[in-house]
Amino acid sequence: MSRIGVFICHCGENIGRTVDCARVAQSLGDLPGVVHSVDYKYMCSDPGQVLIKQAIQEKNLDGIVVGACSPHMHEKTFRKAAASAGLNPFLCEMANLREHCSWIHEDRELATEKAIALGRFIVEKIKYNRPLSTIYIPVERRALVIGGGIAGIQAALDIADGGRDVILVEKESSIGGHMSQLSETFPTLDCSQCILTPRMVEVAQHPRIKLLAYSEVESVDGYIGNFQVKIRRKARSVDETKCNGCGECQKNCPNKKIPSEFDQGLGTRTAIYVPFPQAVPNIPVIDRASCALFRGRAKGVKKVVCGKCAEVCGRNAVDFDQQDSFVTEKVGAIVVATGYQLYSIGKSQELDILRGYGEYGYGTIPDVIDGLQFERLASASGPTGGKILRPSDGKEPKKIVFLQCIGSRDPAKGIEYCSKICCMYVAKHTMLYHHKVHDGKAVVFYMDIRAGGKGYDEFVRRAIEESHALYLRGRVSRLSRDGDVIRVQGFDTLSGEPVVINADMVVLATAMRPQPGIAALAQKLSVSYDQHGFLNEAHPKLRPVETNTAGVFLAGACQSPRDIPDSVAMASATASKVLGLFSKELLEREPLIARVDRMTCTGCFHCERVCPYGAVERKTLTDSKGRIIKVIAEVNQGVCQGCGTCQATCPSKSVELDGFTDEQIYAAVNAI
Amino acid sequence: MQELRDLAKKLLLDKQVNAILGYEWDRRGARPAFITEAGDCDRLVFDHRCVQNLAAYLSPRRANIAQLGRLAVVIKACDARAVAGLIRENQLKREDLVLIGVRCGGVVVNPSDSEQLNAENIAPRCVGCEQREPTLADHLVGETQSAPVGKANRDLRLSEIEKLNPEERLSLWTSLLSQCTRCYACRQVCPMCFCERCIADKTQPAWIESSPHSRGNFSWHLTRALHLAGRCVDCGECERACPAGIPLGLLNHKVARIVASRYGYAVSDDPSRETPIGSYRLDDEQEFIA
Amino acid sequence: MSDLFEPNIVAFVCNWCTYTGADLAGTSRLTMAPNVRIIRLPCTGRIDTLFILKAFERGADGVIVSGCHPADCHYTAGNYHARRRFAVFRELMEFAGIDPQRVTFSWVSASEGGKWAEVVNNATEQVRRLGPFQKYPSPAAHAGEIACKS
Repeated sequence: MSRIGVFICHCGENIGRTVDCARVAQSLGDLPGVVHSVDYKYMCSDPGQVLIKQAIQEKNLDGIVVGACSPHMHEKTFRKAAASAGLNPFLCEMANLREHCSWIHEDRELATEKAIALGRFIVEKIKYNRPLSTIYIPVERRALVIGGGIAGIQAALDIADGGRDVILVEKESSIGGHMSQLSETFPTLDCSQCILTPRMVEVAQHPRIKLLAYSEVESVDGYIGNFQVKIRRKARSVDETKCNGCGECQKNCPNKKIPSEFDQGLGTRTAIYVPFPQAVPNIPVIDRASCALFRGRAKGVKKVVCGKCAEVCGRNAVDFDQQDSFVTEKVGAIVVATGYQLYSIGKSQELDILRGYGEYGYGTIPDVIDGLQFERLASASGPTGGKILRPSDGKEPKKIVFLQCIGSRDPAKGIEYCSKICCMYVAKHTMLYHHKVHDGKAVVFYMDIRAGGKGYDEFVRRAIEESHALYLRGRVSRLSRDGDVIRVQGFDTLSGEPVVINADMVVLATAMRPQPGIAALAQKLSVSYDQHGFLNEAHPKLRPVETNTAGVFLAGACQSPRDIPDSVAMASATASKVLGLFSKELLEREPLIARVDRMTCTGCFHCERVCPYGAVERKTLTDSKGRIIKVIAEVNQGVCQGCGTCQATCPSKSVELDGFTDEQIYAAVNAI
Repeated sequence: MQELRDLAKKLLLDKQVNAILGYEWDRRGARPAFITEAGDCDRLVFDHRCVQNLAAYLSPRRANIAQLGRLAVVIKACDARAVAGLIRENQLKREDLVLIGVRCGGVVVNPSDSEQLNAENIAPRCVGCEQREPTLADHLVGETQSAPVGKANRDLRLSEIEKLNPEERLSLWTSLLSQCTRCYACRQVCPMCFCERCIADKTQPAWIESSPHSRGNFSWHLTRALHLAGRCVDCGECERACPAGIPLGLLNHKVARIVASRYGYAVSDDPSRETPIGSYRLDDEQEFIA
Repeated sequence: MSDLFEPNIVAFVCNWCTYTGADLAGTSRLTMAPNVRIIRLPCTGRIDTLFILKAFERGADGVIVSGCHPADCHYTAGNYHARRRFAVFRELMEFAGIDPQRVTFSWVSASEGGKWAEVVNNATEQVRRLGPFQKYPSPAAHAGEIACKS
């Protein structure tokens, strides 16, 4: 028989005004199993809590119901009070008489009746509560960072500097990400490489960072504190332990005409190559699709077609037979910092919802380029040595038109969000252009100027006032080739006039989108993502770097469009979360998790299919002689987050979610 | 028929299987037969009177049958869907079974007085059935069959009920289900009802009241139909077994139509095919959610 | 009190979105019908169709089921599974004669206190129009049946 205590709070006047608290206490006190029922002005106050503690001890209560505010407000308070009086905290429950009753009703009679009903639900439910104990799980205090752009680099360095080991996985052959491609950065115009490369070198030399470049995450198992990550180390065709980065192979590769990805197709590279001279690690990779030897092999040619790189390598590091290999790492936390890609402007798009800009002739008019291509033209290490020259004929453009919001803020093209960085980098581009081509004219078509940030608006003003960029508010409907120039047909909405400009070059500020393959990675990590593929944070304001999967964190543009300062700040925030997690040897978890009834589980594994966390494991039951009796489901305590979808799905109800068991819910429903 | 018997004999003699599960004649039509001796194989038969779904015997819960070891089972296309379901839901291993598929042109409602299959006596579920032979089978026997024709039309019956107003529908089902004595023949005969402890037998808590009155009967039959959503193989056994003559097939057929129209799902004998409940699409229709 | 029929409505809601949204309605002092009693579950994924059937058996006149919007589920996917479960349940229930107007399904986020008040008021009005659900095989409707059979 239960010995339940009921405590009805007036919350000053907040509940008492519309609910007759004394009647609620009296009425609930009449329920079977309730041995103590009182009302009090402020239950959460010290004297109120003393009232609860005394009653628990004096009346030997085995469950308490506090009828007060929302459990989101004070459940912790009252559970703590219960615990301090020696009652298991999970034998304390709250009935929400304030937010869900007194504050939303005016009729005292009806509100009181409802309060009694709400209290009755919880009294009946608590008769089936079981004492639960906090779960402790060990933490592997090493972190995995996915993505070696500026966000990943910052997160890795901060965690490593905090004294914990980091594994940094980068899918390209070098870390650096998009930032390594940039010429200068807003709003200070410091050289991107100059500030980035020292950090890249720091990563390579840090004793606590293990860098796995040219690698990808293959699968993720486990849970917070205990992830097992399988990483695919893609075949470089170069032995990393032997190569010293002398560059002889690259110099001697006969195939020199391959468009360079790093230079956004504006420059060329060889088949064995490092993407850029400051690459970390400075170890080349063979692009097997372009290498004569591998192409020969693919065609089935018996003769070794080439092999120059191997011949000139003094360290015998070139390995044409290298295969992908796998490593498995155990980590306690995962930071996702996979960054972004640019909206591809052309007509064909990989997603149905996206509509390209066929009318802008990107890909067919050679002097229509995107923002990253302009960065490469402006970069001292770029294909033109930092001179702004047209891709078509190498002439210096005297008039460049910049178009903002290409893809962004245009639901008709598939993206309604603002890409946030384009206003700033276009202003920067006009300045760089002005610095390099003094008599050049920059014209910018914009929708609005969004320059929130320290020194940002001033920066845009400088572009207009000192670099004399002409800003026209309006859209461009068409770009067409007209002899040597590009005809830009647009509309200036401020003057209300159509505008036609003959430009030498057009630069499109295209939208930021998450990296391709983000959905597949998100599924491996059980992290949710929005309709565009940006990963979801656990709470947009209060938990911006965590995800709903405990132990998985976000940094940089994988979460939403971000500039460098934001990405770095977010990476450092993430690192502090990871270090906070690693400050404990054991993790505490609320024990509201599912457990399987071994007797009745039939092993149909419907639960396994619906579990969002992969917490359901298969367990083989054997008899004393080792013969298999049956294979049943078992819930991994560390992985289960307690949603209970398994229980609602289980046809025989052989799985129970503690805290919300069928008996508890049944009792509440029965009390209506 | 000889083809079936010869195959069964060979399987037993070659020791590929320990027993054949098939049909033999019975005074009321056909009944399930367990044959362990090659000499008994001539008892095996198959025609439109072989209504039973033998997959119901394959559930691991029937330990005495599991003890026989490796089995060969005679299956129609609908039965194959049940075998596929059991494999999909980890109750069976494909490699533990030899499946003898029989070509089927429909079965009758009442095997005891149906020498010939015709449009009058054909089981309503067979009308419109598009699968003449199981694709899951290891062996396929029997003559090619034409698509069954019949007068019964379940879809018409469904739409008649759907045309009633809610109160009339509730009265109809309350009166139909009040006939249920909770004998659970529907459950026992169902190949997909393989739970060790049925939800209807759970007492802590008793979501489904066990006494046979409309209250519990309603919960029981709606819950059973829901548990079979996307899983019911439409073998018609529940309705055939029901001593009260409740048209249980209508509930299952309704649910099958719901999952077909909402999720484009039709039950199949492909064990790797994902069933609609337990999976989802981000853009599933949600017109009913405010 | 008026002579209006006051329906008894049970709401099964998820802890993270709708329960919190209902809290917000409270802190915003949005007055609404007092007929809806909330039972808190962790997730719509946990809400079993058995809950709804049992609520009707116990004499509820209406039921509300509410949780996080698609893509907002605290547990990533519980609401997607619930959506399929309820889609099928709702049509079957309608087929069996339970007026779908008695069961309201909704997505109410933690920031939609106003929407919660609307859901509560609409459901109350809707069920009030339909009247008491005495026809459902509940103890009141079939008190004599057990006696007859035994």
